[in-house]
Amino acid sequence: MRVRSIRTRLTTVAVSATLLLSVAACGDSGGDGGPVELRFSWWGNNDRAQATQKVIDAFQAQHPDIKVSGSSADFNAYFDKLATEVAAGDAPDVITLGGAYPREYGDRGALLDLARVRNELKTDKIDAAALGNGNFENKQYGVPTGVNTFALVVNPAVFAKAGVPLPDDSTWTWDDFARIARDISAKSPKGTYGVADPSSADMFDLYSRQRGEGLYTPDGKVAISRNTITEWWTMTVGLRNSGATPPASVTTELEGQPAPEQTLMGRGLAGMQFDWSNQLGALRKASGQPLELLRAPGESGQKPGMWLQASQIYTINARTEHPKEAATFVDFLVNSPEAGKIILTDRGIPANSEVLTSVVPALNPDQSAQATFIEKVTPQVGPPLVIGPTGSTDTRLILQRLNAEVLFDRKSPADAADEFVKQVEAAIGK
Amino acid sequence: MSDRTGSRTIRSGLRRRESRVAYGFLAPWIVGMVVFTIGPILASLYLSFTDYTLLSPPEWRGLENYQRMLADSRLHKSLLVTFQYVFVSVPVQLALALGLAMLLNRGVRGLPIYRSVYYLPSLLAGSVSIAILWRQIFGSEGLVNQLLAKVGVEGVSWVSHPDFALGTLVVLNAWTFGAPMVIFLAGLRQIPSMYYEAASVDGAGAVSQFFRITIPLLTPIIFFNLILQMIGAFQSFTQAFVVSGGSGGPADSTLLYTLYLYERGFGSFEMGYASALAWTLLVIIAVLTGVNFLFAKRWVFYGD
Repeated sequence: MRVRSIRTRLTTVAVSATLLLSVAACGDSGGDGGPVELRFSWWGNNDRAQATQKVIDAFQAQHPDIKVSGSSADFNAYFDKLATEVAAGDAPDVITLGGAYPREYGDRGALLDLARVRNELKTDKIDAAALGNGNFENKQYGVPTGVNTFALVVNPAVFAKAGVPLPDDSTWTWDDFARIARDISAKSPKGTYGVADPSSADMFDLYSRQRGEGLYTPDGKVAISRNTITEWWTMTVGLRNSGATPPASVTTELEGQPAPEQTLMGRGLAGMQFDWSNQLGALRKASGQPLELLRAPGESGQKPGMWLQASQIYTINARTEHPKEAATFVDFLVNSPEAGKIILTDRGIPANSEVLTSVVPALNPDQSAQATFIEKVTPQVGPPLVIGPTGSTDTRLILQRLNAEVLFDRKSPADAADEFVKQVEAAIGK
Repeated sequence: MSDRTGSRTIRSGLRRRESRVAYGFLAPWIVGMVVFTIGPILASLYLSFTDYTLLSPPEWRGLENYQRMLADSRLHKSLLVTFQYVFVSVPVQLALALGLAMLLNRGVRGLPIYRSVYYLPSLLAGSVSIAILWRQIFGSEGLVNQLLAKVGVEGVSWVSHPDFALGTLVVLNAWTFGAPMVIFLAGLRQIPSMYYEAASVDGAGAVSQFFRITIPLLTPIIFFNLILQMIGAFQSFTQAFVVSGGSGGPADSTLLYTLYLYERGFGSFEMGYASALAWTLLVIIAVLTGVNFLFAKRWVFYGD
């Protein structure tokens, strides 16, 4: 009898211990008293991660009651991961977004309306146009990290080796562009190309804006015409046929590895590559070459297609338990010269005018080249970009798929153009 | 009388206490099963009839999601890709497994070592690291092309070409022949050697022995492996996700069903539609398994 009761008691203890352990495993966060813990996520390479960690350290030194843990991934993986975290209700407190993503997440109620934390997070010194990229239906969902422009990166060393002069970017046309790309490929060693395949959603915006279109209308419909897309793809197929761009399978392979170090430009294997201006530093470092920024071809022809845009946008999770602390952190990121001096131009030219002034003397040649370029194109760019509606973040993937179909000659440019409009309409129709 | 009743109460009381203890021990698993498996399965059945974007509550839509599948051309493409993948990679994998099992069954020295070595890929191949390795091996500057270059052939980037990308996944799946091989080996051991002795006395050659003794007696094992590997292949995800960089590309050529399901659910927040896709996959697998069982009567031989 006694033996049995001891055994029963032991059993009960064992079972409750198991249960307790599993409960304990779930609930190690939270609690009173200790510092508030924030999670902050961004995309980018290792250099950016190191710089960002320094900013976090500086912030924590000023705010010992707040602890920030950062996490980063490359661009493709970042948004997959974020979607999963948002779905699980476990998204970071401060989330870096860009392009059409703030609207995508904001419209779905995942982002905090920053009006609720206006005491902690000031936006009065921030460039109005850039601030507009985080404002949808009169709600401010995000603060721009900096200003950026989609432009052409060139490698003068590749041009010189091929004996091709750099173009005059104030007058050149798309025909000049194609000819130069062809020439470079023809006169360069095997494996070096005139230009990396230029098709991308940003490129579609730029090219069609030169014709007064753009990807989307302000009321959230498809603006780009089939005709424009057909002409674009006819040109890029011509580039591929002439060897100006790499074979299709190289292009599709490059799409899977978006880090600047892995691009053709980053490896010194391309004369030209369209990219965001804030990538200049990373690309220069990766290639070891004095890369430069140029205006896109065709800017002087009809209408300018280039634009200035918030390069990235800091947003706050609507479900965060610490909105005030999160806002204090974002305020530090965008409004403090201290953070500005660490981040410099890595997330675009600082959108806060005071930060920019204090940062300029600290810029290295790479960064001041970027700042100079932005300054140069500012009077020449077109109107602000129309940000895509909810569902438009699919456009990037739709374009990637159809671009592969076109480059592998499985679809004609005209058929792919029809498909593109149809699929984007379906994606933003819901 | 009273004595007997007494002992029965004691015994039933004991049994009750023992079963209570048993349930106590089982509780963590029962709770896990209900909360993490059965609950979500039932929830996804409900969600498959709704429009659910994760952030706002689901809205009832009846059969809309299922109707949408009929017109979804990318779904049809992904079904085609998945069927190609399953119907090529599973037979290839089983043939490899059986071939190697036959070889190893001839009494090779160090059998446990070979068995483990060949089994290893089955443990590794589902992992992200092997998929990344695969990307490198079949990339434009990968091992395969370096070997081809030695014999003067210029290869393409196999993982990035729509004609070959799925092929690299088939090879990856076939490489995991270890698990069915181990089961085949066990099956081969079960076949009494007297059958072979009798057959050779009657003058039957190796080929005829293979088709008339080995295969017929092995059919239950073949059947078992076929069902298991087929279900596994339909659910393949990691390899295609990593090799294609999450896109199912190039040009949707590696868009396995589960990848498309993931893309709808987590890329476009269409959880309702993704749930409907999941249930459709379940039905497809159930139907094909059922068909397999029906045909099994004609070719599977259970001895005696």
